[in-house]
Amino acid sequence: MTLQEILFALERYWSDRGCLIHQPWDAEVGAGTMHPETFLRVLGPKPWRVAYCQPTRRPADGRYGENPNRLYKHEQFQVILKPAPADVQDAYLGSLVALGIDPAAHDIRFEEDNWESPTLGAWGIGWQVLLDGLEITQFTYFQQAGGLDLQPISAEITYGLERIAMYLQGVEDVYDVRWSKDRQYREVRHEEEYQLSRYSFELADVELFRELFDKYLKEGWRTLEAPGGRSLLAAYDWCLKGSHAFNILDARGAISVSQRAGMILGIRKLACAIAAAHVAPREGTMVEAPRG
Amino acid sequence: MAELLLEIGCEEIPAAWLPGLGEQLRARFAELAAREPLTTSGLRSLWTPRRLVLVAEVPGRQEDREETVFGPPRSAARDASGAWTSAAKGFAKKVGRAPEELLSLPKVAGGDVLYLAHTRRVEGRLAKDVLPILVGQLLRALAFPKRMSWDAWLDDGKGAFPFGRPIRWIAALLDGDVLPFTIYALENGAKSGPIVQSGNVTFAHRFLPRGEAGRPIQVASFAELLAKLRERFVLLDPEERAVRIRESLAELGRSLDDHGLASEWRDLVECPAVMVGGIPAEFRSLPREVLETVLVHHQKYLPIASGGALTRFAAVTNTDGSNVAEITRGMERVVVARLRDGRFFFEEDLKRPLAERVEDLAGVAFHQKLGSYRDKAERMTRLVTIMGAEMGLLTKPEHEAARQAALLAKADLTTLMVREFPELQGIMGGIYLRAQGHGWEGVASAVHWHYHPISIEEGSPPASALAGSDATVFGAVSLADKLDTLAGYFGLGLMPTGSSDPYGLRRAAQGVIRVLLDFWSAAEAEERPNLRRLVAAAVAGYGGGLSRTAADVVPELEAFLFDRLRYVLVARGYPADEVEAVLGARDPDALENPHEAWVRLKALHRVRQEAREDFEHLAVAFKRARNILGERREALPDATLFQEEAERLLDQAVSGLSGRDGGYEARLRALASLRAPVDRFFDDVLVMAEDPKLRENRLGLLARTLSLFYRIADISKLGGQA
Repeated sequence: MTLQEILFALERYWSDRGCLIHQPWDAEVGAGTMHPETFLRVLGPKPWRVAYCQPTRRPADGRYGENPNRLYKHEQFQVILKPAPADVQDAYLGSLVALGIDPAAHDIRFEEDNWESPTLGAWGIGWQVLLDGLEITQFTYFQQAGGLDLQPISAEITYGLERIAMYLQGVEDVYDVRWSKDRQYREVRHEEEYQLSRYSFELADVELFRELFDKYLKEGWRTLEAPGGRSLLAAYDWCLKGSHAFNILDARGAISVSQRAGMILGIRKLACAIAAAHVAPREGTMVEAPRG
Repeated sequence: MAELLLEIGCEEIPAAWLPGLGEQLRARFAELAAREPLTTSGLRSLWTPRRLVLVAEVPGRQEDREETVFGPPRSAARDASGAWTSAAKGFAKKVGRAPEELLSLPKVAGGDVLYLAHTRRVEGRLAKDVLPILVGQLLRALAFPKRMSWDAWLDDGKGAFPFGRPIRWIAALLDGDVLPFTIYALENGAKSGPIVQSGNVTFAHRFLPRGEAGRPIQVASFAELLAKLRERFVLLDPEERAVRIRESLAELGRSLDDHGLASEWRDLVECPAVMVGGIPAEFRSLPREVLETVLVHHQKYLPIASGGALTRFAAVTNTDGSNVAEITRGMERVVVARLRDGRFFFEEDLKRPLAERVEDLAGVAFHQKLGSYRDKAERMTRLVTIMGAEMGLLTKPEHEAARQAALLAKADLTTLMVREFPELQGIMGGIYLRAQGHGWEGVASAVHWHYHPISIEEGSPPASALAGSDATVFGAVSLADKLDTLAGYFGLGLMPTGSSDPYGLRRAAQGVIRVLLDFWSAAEAEERPNLRRLVAAAVAGYGGGLSRTAADVVPELEAFLFDRLRYVLVARGYPADEVEAVLGARDPDALENPHEAWVRLKALHRVRQEAREDFEHLAVAFKRARNILGERREALPDATLFQEEAERLLDQAVSGLSGRDGGYEARLRALASLRAPVDRFFDDVLVMAEDPKLRENRLGLLARTLSLFYRIADISKLGGQA
């Protein structure tokens, strides 16, 4: 199965189970969870089912295209089932069968791994799913997002597409993964990995990013609190930008342990305020009003 | 008797929780059943990651019992004319009796006030009616390290029903008959339709046997549950799984160090099948710590050594043991990917001498307001210099080794390996120093261990790893690191509050205490570290760089360390009152010499066990004495003013003891003999005599008596029973 066939299979599988298939968010994010289709949709009472692929940037994981397993940017396939159905684990395992994995012939296990995103004020209870010792999925029952207790509880299923492709294709190096029938991951992404790694480890202007970090958050607050409301989605984009600036600074080794805590808190406060605004019963929030 | 069988089918429960949950299941059920009351026997709990099972023998019916209801007090039962009051008549009517038929009983046995009462026979309820309620109470009573909301609701008046993991089925049977029990959905904060209803079915292995997985299986009894599950690749009894794992491991080698994994493996799977993978030869030259970190901590695989090198690993799978080749290939690929990372880091890191990296620490912030790790290394170096040169705690060579180690201790924070595997911090520094030919083992081992001690238990690492001078050098560096951190954070006002200790300061302080108790090897040290001086030096090390003054910081940090000393001593099993007594002694001061305080505590503990009664008497007497004396200082009494024989006897006893030398135990034993004269003194002598001269003399004698003890422990802090 090529990487794109894996993506098609997952999209088809979850589409057949009632999921809206969304597109990636068009801002740098460190996890599929940061997509508003997860972060905001899991808030409030309204049922929602969505799946999408999200390219995920983790500057500190960049390896100049030299490491066979580690990437600055990798593809996450993200599923949100709200509320989590009683057969959610079986539904997930069905998706592995759809990828051609025979669970009876492998060691597939759900091992405790609780997920937490301090920047989003979000956490959940769950597992990493191991396939013959390889972590292929993070499976989480969201408990809180934006500092708010959730009800109903959403199940979040996050697949690491490159890892699954490597496993299915039996290759040892991510750059050997077949993306399509005739193109390899190397051709598509290697140069990008090099350049983005170079940028985040060598070129990124630390002082500029410190400044940007502060300004992004400031603009986020200004936008959120703008008179007239209906601005939280725009504010959230600034929050995401702040989070990415933080990740760049982190990759540059420019953040100390305690600064880290303070900066994370800064992002979290904005994310929590956005979440609170989103669930506040007033006009203009994403739940009530169509976007367009 | 009837068989109660309860199986709670869950999504995968964390392995580490399961033994405790099994224990809770039995204990909580026993308590709840006793409250009903319902006599139970043969309680047994079993588990796998996907199920918690309880079996018990219960009677088919509760025993009948008598129940007494109370009405008004008898004094209010009749009016002045002797007629029944309306309260009495009302109560009689309520219980369906005539007033004359009522009893007069106290509410508690032996009580003075009598009440009108009626005793009725209550028929026992059928077990099948009682048990469904108990099931709900039992599920509520289970405590988890972390609970989750899963949108569930119980109809027990409490509503929302969080649990450890979502429950997916419940088999609840009494002699094969289903005990009805329902878990409802929670929707919009209220009860909605049922999501789990108890029945007589179970589910076996998730995937095995092929084609049958996921099908409900009917069961009528525990024996049938056990057998049907076993047929379908689930070993319900943890002991059975443990045996299977042990047997598999035994085939692999007699002296396998299981790193504590074997017991965890048992509860990670329902059907353990151990598989063995190979470690390619190219990785065997990696330091053992790196290999073990990858295998044990990240993959929960067990390293297998042969010929001194780690050549293979064992892993537990939740399978029938077939398809070994493909599964182990998958596991090997994960291991290889991680080891390849590890080797890359190792080789890259070795390209630069560790000492060069000390300068790089200038770019790694320790804390925004406390400077970089380069600054910290500098402060740590100054602190060990003070220990060596000013406080005389280190020999010359120890001093030099500690100075080097303090400077190098944090350098590995800039290595790729530690950035990837933070749990190897310190350890890698030691490994790199040795690999790069730093000839001084004392330096390498101090760097290696300086984040320790982490556990407060005596004998825990690095107790057996270090001896003699190496232990002292380690102790100095470890102290310098922790005290510097504590001084810095306290200096910024970032003290732990309540359960919140984000910077791990309690553990750091406990580490300080443990170094002082366990690593300044008692027999050898000429000078013992004075914790007050060390605290002052650590705070002074920041110069003017703290936001609070030393006058504010030092007493708070001292109090914090004092509290941790108390905590460690109590944790080591000494009764709290003995710890208080020792720490309450004013001179010697426990913070000036914590190790010596521990020696006093050990002595007090032993001698008090020998002479428990004497110490009880002395404690009572000394509490009295303290109350009378207040802050009065001891004074040599004037023998000419003694009027009572008891005064003279006490004075003689005290004088005989006050010059006494010897170990604490010997002195305490001698002091215990004061019990008789002290008791007699209080019996016979009026301390607060009217004549002020007499009074002062008696108070002086008492104060002198107490002061004998104060050099060891404040005996008045001892409780009567402890």
